[in-house]
Amino acid sequence: MNPRALPAGLVLGLLAILVVAPLAGLLSLGGLQLNDPRELQFWHSAYIQRVLVFSLWQALLSTICSVLPAILVARSLALQPVFPLRALLLRLFALPLVVPSVVAVMAMVSVYGAGGWIPLGRSLYGINGILLAHVFFNLPLAVRLLLPYWQAIPRHHWQLAAQLGMNAGQRWRLLEWPALREGLPGVLLLVFMLCLVSFAVVLTLGGGPRSTTLEVAIYQSLRFDFNPSRAVALALLQLALCVVVATLTQRLQRLPEVEIGLDPAPVGIRPVFSTFNLVLIALAAIYVGMPLLSMLIDALSGPWFEVLTETRLWQSIANTLIIGLSAALLSVAAGWFLLRYSASLAFEGRGLAARWIELAGSVVYVVPPLVIGTGMFVLLSSWADVFGWVYPIVIAVNALMGLPFVIRCLGPPMRQNHARYERLCRSLALAGWNRFRYLEWPLLRRPLGLAAGLVAALAMGDLGVIALFGTPESATLSLLIYQQLGAYLVSEATVTALMLLGVCLAAFWLLERGIGGGDRA
Amino acid sequence: MLEVRQLEFAYTADEPRMHFELAVAEGEVLSLIGPSGSGKSTLLNLIAGFLEQQGGSILLDGIAIDALPVEARPVSIVFQQYNLFPHLDVHTNVALGIDPALHHSAAQAKAVDGALDRLGLAGLERRKPGELSGGQQQRVALARVLVRRRKILLLDEAFAALGPAQRAEMIGLVRQLVEEQRMAALLVSHQPRDALIASARTAFVSDGRIVTLQDTRRLLDETQLVEVREYLGSI
Amino acid sequence: MNLKPRRMTAALTALLLSFAAPAAQPTLTVYTYDSFTSDWGPGPKVKQAFEARCDCELELVGLEDGVSILNRIRLEGENTRADLLLGIDTNLTAEARATGLFEAHGITFDNSTLPRPWRDELFLPYDYGYFAFVYNRERLDEPPMSLHQLVDDNNGPTLLIQDPRTSTPGLGLLLWVRKVYGDRAGEAWAKLAPRIVTVSKGWSEAYGLFLKGEADMVLSYTTSPAYHMIAENDSRFAAARFEEGHYQQIEVAGMLAGSGQKRLARDFLRFMVSEEFQQIIPTTNWMFPAALANSKLPAEFSQLVDPSPSLLFDDEEVMKRRGAWIDEWLEVMSR
Repeated sequence: MNPRALPAGLVLGLLAILVVAPLAGLLSLGGLQLNDPRELQFWHSAYIQRVLVFSLWQALLSTICSVLPAILVARSLALQPVFPLRALLLRLFALPLVVPSVVAVMAMVSVYGAGGWIPLGRSLYGINGILLAHVFFNLPLAVRLLLPYWQAIPRHHWQLAAQLGMNAGQRWRLLEWPALREGLPGVLLLVFMLCLVSFAVVLTLGGGPRSTTLEVAIYQSLRFDFNPSRAVALALLQLALCVVVATLTQRLQRLPEVEIGLDPAPVGIRPVFSTFNLVLIALAAIYVGMPLLSMLIDALSGPWFEVLTETRLWQSIANTLIIGLSAALLSVAAGWFLLRYSASLAFEGRGLAARWIELAGSVVYVVPPLVIGTGMFVLLSSWADVFGWVYPIVIAVNALMGLPFVIRCLGPPMRQNHARYERLCRSLALAGWNRFRYLEWPLLRRPLGLAAGLVAALAMGDLGVIALFGTPESATLSLLIYQQLGAYLVSEATVTALMLLGVCLAAFWLLERGIGGGDRA
Repeated sequence: MLEVRQLEFAYTADEPRMHFELAVAEGEVLSLIGPSGSGKSTLLNLIAGFLEQQGGSILLDGIAIDALPVEARPVSIVFQQYNLFPHLDVHTNVALGIDPALHHSAAQAKAVDGALDRLGLAGLERRKPGELSGGQQQRVALARVLVRRRKILLLDEAFAALGPAQRAEMIGLVRQLVEEQRMAALLVSHQPRDALIASARTAFVSDGRIVTLQDTRRLLDETQLVEVREYLGSI
Repeated sequence: MNLKPRRMTAALTALLLSFAAPAAQPTLTVYTYDSFTSDWGPGPKVKQAFEARCDCELELVGLEDGVSILNRIRLEGENTRADLLLGIDTNLTAEARATGLFEAHGITFDNSTLPRPWRDELFLPYDYGYFAFVYNRERLDEPPMSLHQLVDDNNGPTLLIQDPRTSTPGLGLLLWVRKVYGDRAGEAWAKLAPRIVTVSKGWSEAYGLFLKGEADMVLSYTTSPAYHMIAENDSRFAAARFEEGHYQQIEVAGMLAGSGQKRLARDFLRFMVSEEFQQIIPTTNWMFPAALANSKLPAEFSQLVDPSPSLLFDDEEVMKRRGAWIDEWLEVMSR
């Protein structure tokens, strides 16, 4: 048996435990209730159909509006020579992930609301608002995930393209698009999932109950209605939706037919400053920067001295960092073992199995943390003191949520690496720790660093999981923000939000430097 | 004929400048040999236009070409790898040499077929590069050179991955093409033996300059220059 | 009002005392909501005051909100380690009763300052509030004086409300409209809908948007202006007084039948309706204490609008009809 199958199997097993077991636990509370007439009426009602359609539609639309421009922006960044602050811009692009949704809503309103810089007035509350917010969250993420694909194009291909006199369109068709096809479906799926489960943003900026998504229905059925089996059924429905979308996007995908170079040099031809590219990059920077800037401005005019001198703040910062970094490391490790196995499967020609493994790791993202957390209570409360397990559970669930990001960042380079060096390693009997140390670590550091940074950002901004457990001592920054907002302390909350951004930026820098080893992006 | 006059280049301001000066006649294949990092590939990149020189000029038949953009230079280049696009078939890879938009007149399409034929690739038009051997892939690259009909041919260790017999065959093929088409060619190689097969004259490049340019056999067998002898070792 | 040095000393003292105290000190576990246990909520002061008199440790577990507290207890069932639950409101008491996990508190509650006499033997109230539409005086000079006026005026103020499916004030407004309009509530909502800027997930989003000026009015509590007056010295905010009356939210605590500390729990409940606890409430929870005379409230509270008559549905009726009422609301609002 493939020696890599075992650790991968362990990871998959853990995934199953973290997801399937809580679902089963919830089901055990109420049974499946397929015969209950009220349940049947719910599932046949126009309401649930409308919710389903809307959830799908807003997620699809948001995905297209985020990823299509992201392709253009990533291309511009790849083709432009290195300009000052480029590294900072890329790091800035990781920030929207960390912003808690309630803060993001306020930032959107600061920029686009009635009193904002680009006042849209009431037309903000509807699909416009949803798109604006989703593009803010996902465009920068997609740019960072897509950028490496340009860097994978061999330098000689660029040189050939120049010599053969290809224009931009031909270059796109013959060089860039084929290279992009490997990773695009994964990015599309990830952004789709993020938009599908985006709850508070869609509800608040969507303008009202017309903008109800499946997440809202799950939330309602689990909390107010206390109908766990319906919640499970809805969660499974959401899961099924993602699997369908995943299989559809897979059709776009083309795994590389010949080994693609891991040449780090961006482009071999003489790079030229193109106005079009620069304008595009500037527009993206402004679009992403405006809400962040509004947060900064709000915070600066807030009571930052008082907030900074609260001991509670520093404790929260410590908690946030611990959770974020632990979740990042755990997630990256789990993803590593999964992907090593799927890479070897792909190399042996079992591409379908490889894809299913990666899909399993990714799709669990859409099972709501509320469902997982509640299910865990059901399972654990009878034999363990759940409150003692707060940290491990929060870290584990956040690591789970981060897995799709790891798979996106690490999957393709790992596959290429494997294809390139597997035979050499076998002939040299280079395996295990030595192989990691001399081969995989130096070549895969950069995507590893990016993956770790993204998961950390996600975990640090997370509210859904930690809020379930709420003991006062385990306050993280996002929980603190929420508490402040609930206590009328809006200006304090903006300062705390800025601290969260700062901590995230610092963690990202740390992980990219420490693991990723440097600024070249 | 290709002339490189007082060509100067350095990658960064701190490094000492490289300096190149040579001339290649029509129908001639000039070999460049020398240790790694000596600047052989850099010279080819300068002639192709991938790098911009800091001084001197490059002339073809007396006309300066160094101000021209890459696509306008009368140059064809063959690399050691990545010459072909893996997702396109052989025919398309060659046809790209005529027009990157792949719009062809009937005459041009025939030229592609003719080139493939000439290089012994008839019947492989619809194959993908991944299905060909290393030697066949380099032939496809040469077929593309043929249809492009440019005056200057640059070969950057193009045959390094092939076995000795195949290499000799390919170099022979290159010589034929160069003579027929009256091209001026530069061949960079790590194998001094290649220079013997390919060229009457060979240049030894070291440390960013051409140390000597002379008759190939005399260079390889009889030179007294220390650098060259150290490079050649014992042949 | 800087209590930090006092708190530090108290914490230090408590720490030292905890070393001096005998090892086996009973712990009373109370499940409550987040804003109760936060630094700015009543929690710290309540803990300090109670521990000083009880010779025990008070553990306040902060869960998201009232609904979460109830659900947590449902999930844990008889294995729950909670002794007390504090922070559900009367919309949830019927469901809480139905779980069968609570035991009668047995406390004679005779100093109630609630508008109606308190009859529930299972749950004991500690504070209450009234929902109201809050506005900025500088932006809106003539606020509507009744719910009917708000609904009927097509050019009336724009509104920010919360979703009844996810938020307690949202549910409160739903019940308020239902109480005033009865079966014609749907028509009222249809008339209101064009002026509703958005329906947010929770109170924080809506209030935050209101402070940013996104709408003229936001659904909140009559005590919201008190916060701005007392903590921020800002008297621009006021609540609109409606003739028909305001819907009331009463927050209660209950004792778990499975508790191992029933004596302590009852002590706490008695403490909860005593003056010492009650006077912490106004400026930390920003609600009206259920057992404190008006004269003992902060001065600014007297400037708040008079919410009478206070409107309230019986909790059993809420439990039975809530689903249908929400469905009707959804149907109207989704048109």
